[in-house]
Amino acid sequence: MSVRRIGLVAKKEIFGLSAEKTIIFAILLQVFIAMFSSFLMVGLTTMYDPEALEGYSTVTYGIGYAGADSPLIDSFRKRDDLVLYRMDLDQALATLRERKVAAVVFVPDTPPDAEGPVTVTLYLIKNDIQSSIINVKLKEVLQDYERELREVRADRMTSFPVYLNFPEAGGAENFFEFVYGLLIPMLVFLPAIISSALIIDLITEEYQRKTLETLISTPVTFTEMIWGKITACAVLVPVQAGAWLFLLGANGIAVRGAVAIILHASVGGLFLILLGALVALHYRERTSAQFIFSTALVVVFLFVMAVPYNPLNLMVRLAVDTAGPIHWLILLLVAGVTALSGWFVTVYARRVGEAGAA
Amino acid sequence: MRILSSIRTIAAWEMKRSVTMMGRHVLPLAVGLLVLLMLVTSFAAQSGIHMQDGMYRIGIDDPGVARVIAPDSRFTITIADVPTLREDRFAYDIIILRGEVYAADTDKGRAALKSLERDYEVYVSHVAAGEPDLFAAYPLWIDLEYVKSEIDFVATESGQQVGAVVDTRDPPIPSGPVEAVTHPPSAMPISEDDLREHLAGSGSDHPLSRYTGILSGSSSVYDLKTPSQLSPPLPFDSIILIFIFIFPLYFTSQFFMMSVMNERVGRAGEALLSAPVRPSAIIIGKVLPYFALMLIISTAITLIIGAPIGILVPLIPVILFFLASALIIGMAARSFKELSFISIFFSTLATAYLFFPTVFANTHVISIVSPLTLVVLELQGDGFTALEYLYSTALFFATSFILFYAGTVNYREERLFSTKNLISRFADFISGGIMRDHPHASLFALALLSIPFVFMVQMMALVLFFNIPMPLSLALLVITAAFIEEFAKSLGLYAIARERPGFLTLKNLIIAASVIGLGFLIGEKLLLFATLAQISESIFGSALFLSLGLLWMPLLLHIAGVLITGGFILFGGRRAYVPGIIVASVVHSLYNLYFILGGLL
Repeated sequence: MSVRRIGLVAKKEIFGLSAEKTIIFAILLQVFIAMFSSFLMVGLTTMYDPEALEGYSTVTYGIGYAGADSPLIDSFRKRDDLVLYRMDLDQALATLRERKVAAVVFVPDTPPDAEGPVTVTLYLIKNDIQSSIINVKLKEVLQDYERELREVRADRMTSFPVYLNFPEAGGAENFFEFVYGLLIPMLVFLPAIISSALIIDLITEEYQRKTLETLISTPVTFTEMIWGKITACAVLVPVQAGAWLFLLGANGIAVRGAVAIILHASVGGLFLILLGALVALHYRERTSAQFIFSTALVVVFLFVMAVPYNPLNLMVRLAVDTAGPIHWLILLLVAGVTALSGWFVTVYARRVGEAGAA
Repeated sequence: MRILSSIRTIAAWEMKRSVTMMGRHVLPLAVGLLVLLMLVTSFAAQSGIHMQDGMYRIGIDDPGVARVIAPDSRFTITIADVPTLREDRFAYDIIILRGEVYAADTDKGRAALKSLERDYEVYVSHVAAGEPDLFAAYPLWIDLEYVKSEIDFVATESGQQVGAVVDTRDPPIPSGPVEAVTHPPSAMPISEDDLREHLAGSGSDHPLSRYTGILSGSSSVYDLKTPSQLSPPLPFDSIILIFIFIFPLYFTSQFFMMSVMNERVGRAGEALLSAPVRPSAIIIGKVLPYFALMLIISTAITLIIGAPIGILVPLIPVILFFLASALIIGMAARSFKELSFISIFFSTLATAYLFFPTVFANTHVISIVSPLTLVVLELQGDGFTALEYLYSTALFFATSFILFYAGTVNYREERLFSTKNLISRFADFISGGIMRDHPHASLFALALLSIPFVFMVQMMALVLFFNIPMPLSLALLVITAAFIEEFAKSLGLYAIARERPGFLTLKNLIIAASVIGLGFLIGEKLLLFATLAQISESIFGSALFLSLGLLWMPLLLHIAGVLITGGFILFGGRRAYVPGIIVASVVHSLYNLYFILGGLL
């Protein structure tokens, strides 16, 4: 195998990508996603952690209160984002339906030290973002009430939890766990997935268009051609991953250990690309190859995620600076597996190439 | 009759071909992978997902406390004595000294604190659940009741708050009728054992676990909750529908896309084209097996999750739309990589269009833009009316049929096997619909048919700009809408100027502009009156579809827009096309702004 000829094939493929303007679609896609970013940020964060919603509301909400007196009233009075109105239940529900209050609470006249539970009925507007915010706010008030009731009934308890005293949280919600724990590994690994789908397209196309004969008649061997395509796809991974990290940085999300993260993404990406190349060499037809590969991808990802210290987890650790030197060891391990599959692809390609030449 | 039999032949052939191809080579491996997937799933279920392991560092002085936190793998725990921890406090995100929690004053510290608090809550609940006196440990239960309330789309006009804004100390008084309600009973309706079981079962604390529970329906059985079990009912939950319905459909449409592409690769489809069958028969025959397959898949999913079978009705236009787009993409892409990129791009757009409106299901009329909202409504048991069905699916049906038509017209040798670049191929597709003898009639029809697409893109823009503050969103919408309309109107003219440069004379341009403007206006009004009356009544609507009353003013505007673009092409050549559209859009936006401001002032 000649490195120079592999480089030539790789250059040709990358040139082909930009000439066909397919790259433009990829860029358009990223711009489109970025356009949605505010929506995505709020949407995805709340999907990940619904209680983050609370941070977005600065509005004071009216709460209808019906039924018996309870310490809940005092808890509500303490909050400046909720205003309590004492009203009849039917009046309160009618105002809720007209959205003049955000929720209605009905408290029964069960005494705090009763044998049975206190069952509070909470009326909310169905499937509404505002209800979700109210729900979070009420949860805090109700948890206070629960704590109070537990104290009243403490003599009926037999065991007590270890006590921890938490400082008053700043209240301001942050995206930290979502951004560093989910978004960054996803974004960095997305190019690897795209590249591995690309290698399938590149290889099966040669077969289905029957352009292989022309290629084989040049001094480039079959194996060199395959490796050229693999190189072209592999080069795209660190470039795109780096672009994501740069964009995140430009948005004020500082990512530590960026170089190590890109290294992990490149090595892991190369493994996926080799897997894609193997599937493509086996099927030589895009529909089957893409189908099998995408199924295999799910299996691989699920497996990798279930293993402690997997590359995705290491990216998270690297991004928040808690990785430690162990990640170099894992990188070496993944690189070893990748090298092994690289060797396998070479052998397989040589066999396929010889069979084709014969 | 003949066409029916040829459709049947082609459908059978298509089915046979894909079954033999998939059967011989793919199926064994696919089955193997499926088995592997099940193995891996059970492994992952046992081992857990280790994505966020060791994100936070925590220092603790008491092994008892450490045991409380140990189950959460996000924390790396260090146990040391108080002076050492004090000294190294900057190495940790959180330290716990003698029961007091101290968090670092950083984003990371605060995030760690939040996670720790949740873990602690779970732990306290866990201890309480073991109590012999359940109602001492869980003295408070919340019975959640949901009330339905729909607000008008018009309510958000001029930035008015949708929620209740309160300043006064006096309770609000309902303006409508008050229904008498019976007070809920104070006794616990469920036995203690059931509650205990319920508490034990809901021990999951992973943020993503709520999504796995939606479909199994386990979370909805008990409306009774303890305060810590309260979890906001999220409209975003409908994203799970995307995963279970839309992705399989999209995936299947890929096979059709590939089948169309395969006809073109190496001129494989030449034999079929030269056979005495009409292109429409070929396309219908090819698409039928996939349509049936997608329908079967959706039915199977519906039955598996135990949803009402009625949700299939709004899915049909979505299936048609996917197949129609797959046909066009399969016919237009030059290479496999182009196919991949375009289809990924398209699927992102389509998913966004389908998903984002459903977030506002039950809240906003705008949500009805997406057929998926109907699925959400049907799943909730609310159902939908025939009129709502028409609202949300008309655009999908219309665009699908137009795309299928465009595919049929262009299913010819010189289009399928051409190697021109993407933009000229699309231009070719459009000029394929222009008859040589009746160019003006064709331009009229083209303008008419472009309306559903224009509406679709504008709806997308509406959804996109919806969460931007009011004056800005309106301005953006006006400009985008104007640009989209001018672009759509100019397409036919551009295609004709490209194909037959001699056609574009001043006289022809004026006639062409008039018929395009007229066709556009008629299409706009037809679709508007038929479907989107509700949205068009709001201020966003008036930005999109201005002045329903006056007809000659918008007609003149539409004609003027085409004249500007056409004039640029006429005098500046095709290079002047883009500046022409920009100028036309500016004029169009100014006109719209003038009328909206006039309406507001």
